Amino acid sequence: MDEVSPERELEAFFGPRPPDPQPPEPLGIVVGGGLSEGLLVKLDRRTVIEGLAVGRYVVVRGQTGRRFFSMVTDVQLEALNPLIQKSPPDTSDPFINRVYAGTAVFGQLEISPMLVLDQDASEPRPVKTVPAHFTSVYPASEEEVALIFGEEEREGFFHIGEPLEMEGTHVALNLERFVERSAGVFGKTGTGKTFLTRMLLAGLIKEDVAVNLVFDMHNEYGWKGQTEARQEVKGLRQLFPGGEISVFTLDAASSRRRGSKVDAVVRIGYDQIEPEDVDSLSSLMALSDVQVGALYFLQRLLGPSWVARLLDEDDPLAELDAALERGTIHGGTLGAIQRKLGMFRRFEFLRAQVSEDPVRQILDHLDRGRNVVLEFGRYGNSLEAYILVANYITRRIHEHYVQRTEAALGTREGEPRPLVITIEEAHKFLDPAIAQHTIFGTIARELRKYNVTLFVVDQRPSGIDPEVMSQIGTRVTCLLDDETDIRAVFSGISGGASLREVLARLDTRQQALIMGHAVPMPVVVKTRTYGTPEFYAALGVDEEATPKEVLERNRSLLRGSAEDAAGI
Amino acid sequence: MSNKDLQVGRVLRASTQGFAIGCMVMQPEIPSFGAFVRADAQTSDEAIYGLIYDVSMEDDPFVRQLIGADMPEEVVLDNREIRQIPIEVRVLAVGRGRNGRIRHCLPAQPPVTLDWLYQCSVEEVRAFTERLDYFRLVLEARDVPTDELLAASLRVAAAARPESEREAFLISAGRELVRLMAGDPTRLENLLHRLRV
Repeated sequence: MDEVSPERELEAFFGPRPPDPQPPEPLGIVVGGGLSEGLLVKLDRRTVIEGLAVGRYVVVRGQTGRRFFSMVTDVQLEALNPLIQKSPPDTSDPFINRVYAGTAVFGQLEISPMLVLDQDASEPRPVKTVPAHFTSVYPASEEEVALIFGEEEREGFFHIGEPLEMEGTHVALNLERFVERSAGVFGKTGTGKTFLTRMLLAGLIKEDVAVNLVFDMHNEYGWKGQTEARQEVKGLRQLFPGGEISVFTLDAASSRRRGSKVDAVVRIGYDQIEPEDVDSLSSLMALSDVQVGALYFLQRLLGPSWVARLLDEDDPLAELDAALERGTIHGGTLGAIQRKLGMFRRFEFLRAQVSEDPVRQILDHLDRGRNVVLEFGRYGNSLEAYILVANYITRRIHEHYVQRTEAALGTREGEPRPLVITIEEAHKFLDPAIAQHTIFGTIARELRKYNVTLFVVDQRPSGIDPEVMSQIGTRVTCLLDDETDIRAVFSGISGGASLREVLARLDTRQQALIMGHAVPMPVVVKTRTYGTPEFYAALGVDEEATPKEVLERNRSLLRGSAEDAAGI
Repeated sequence: MSNKDLQVGRVLRASTQGFAIGCMVMQPEIPSFGAFVRADAQTSDEAIYGLIYDVSMEDDPFVRQLIGADMPEEVVLDNREIRQIPIEVRVLAVGRGRNGRIRHCLPAQPPVTLDWLYQCSVEEVRAFTERLDYFRLVLEARDVPTDELLAASLRVAAAARPESEREAFLISAGRELVRLMAGDPTRLENLLHRLRV
């Protein structure tokens, strides 16, 4: 009797094994450069230069089995002799063209080596040396990308997109690391910041690495959003119908109109407002330093209801008479403060008295692991309202986190869940003039000491305080045009200069450069498309199923199908 | 290896850099500019390879006198075929071979006077032009029309190959020329154009 090997048996069943794939052709060879300025690669004449784009990954296979993972940072056309560029040959002759291509004229890449993988190692390390002359350079394979970024199936990893020119290869972002430091999404208007942010938030919620508080300025995260083509996409609440998301609103009427189901309406009492809350608005309200100083003085004299009393035109403010007489406070200053605080009357969410404490409510949800989206409704158009509320809530939540973390004395038990606070128009909060004394500046600077990190979304990173910017660990950057903005996102990133070209050449949509703490090396990705049935399916949402279908399916599960019955 | 049909002539004078030979009759294709030739050295079993870079015919006093005369056709033929002064063929030494191994360098010794010089066969030309290192010897030679000589020799080498391989051969030769002559792009382009003629 013939012994059949298990391998043969499998082959008989599945058919012969496909031949091993051919090793890829090298793109070219290393001809010069260095660790700091990047390597120069002379392209092989068979390599089509038009097929190479900045931001693409390549691998230099060194002589000792080491693999140097690098990113293409520039593509150049070179000539052996500069005279050839001045007086080009007769290109109508295909023979001359073929002779010149790759010899007299050739393509050259600048690549920036970033990680190195030793022959038998499984973890790449930062690069500290360069490969020798004439080492071959290959396009990076799918396995190599997975080796660098980790498998998306691993816990805490989320598929965010595909590397350039590598369709079907998934880049997974390490979300555990993403929330360890503050993170930012930058890009000029219309580059897809909101979609990218919503996708990242969906990842954070799905992988349950942190609890989120989103200050949803334009009502795009909670229930539903819109593409630029006015197509509706599901918001976080629809993506996670299992109670992971709570939606709070400042403007119940607007939420109702949009069909957004809200858990609570946020109302803030005048008596809950402290001078620090108004201080954060000082630049928007054009409050001078003297006026800001006077706020604290007024609160001390007038008590907790100081704002209500200042706004009440019938209140004689008798406590202030002595101070006005002594000149401790100037009448003009008082009048200016009263006029400027008058803006609060337009905000209906501010009430003289409120029964419930909105911060307590939000904290309750966060403590239960529910992510909170605060919709601003019509107040989203008012930067003053956005900044006031975001500061008001964040300051108190941060205080609470500080107390709890200190009470836990550094032990993991009893520590609050890591919290990520998402703010839009971040440069208004983190402006160099105010970042020193607003809560967001504090959170960004103290890292995750108290388990709170920021997730900032902004189109003008140059407006953010450089000190805060340098603390932003992971930067997800869509296209930026402005030179100062580009400089700002690269501040504090080593090797940033070589990536400038990559950033300036991103597509206007669905492309982003990710760099910093959460990725082992910078990567340009074509981001996943949000809102497609595949995306919903990947997050476990069955878009097609109507309630009736779900009912039907569940019934059949309970009762068993007709075939089962027949079998019995 | 010697083939009487491919005899070009006998060595008149020689140096390691090149030699002159004399032949009595002009045959079709022999001798021709840019052709590969071979002399078998007498003192060793080495073959010396060269490229014909000049073919010249000098007059003699009798021909001078004949110019003015009205001569019959047989006298003209007689003076062409049975010459008093031989046709002089100049050869640039570009390689040496021993036991089938060819190297593109100057020979250790030149051929000696009255050695036979043979035109290389198609197979020899192909074997010799497997590598193209002889370009440098040609380009560095003095008093030789180097560009014309290279172009002519490459056309000969291409013709020695099957039709399907000629283009690829000329392109690889062109690329070698680019490496050597990148300093003078105009001259390079002219030379490349001449490979096609």
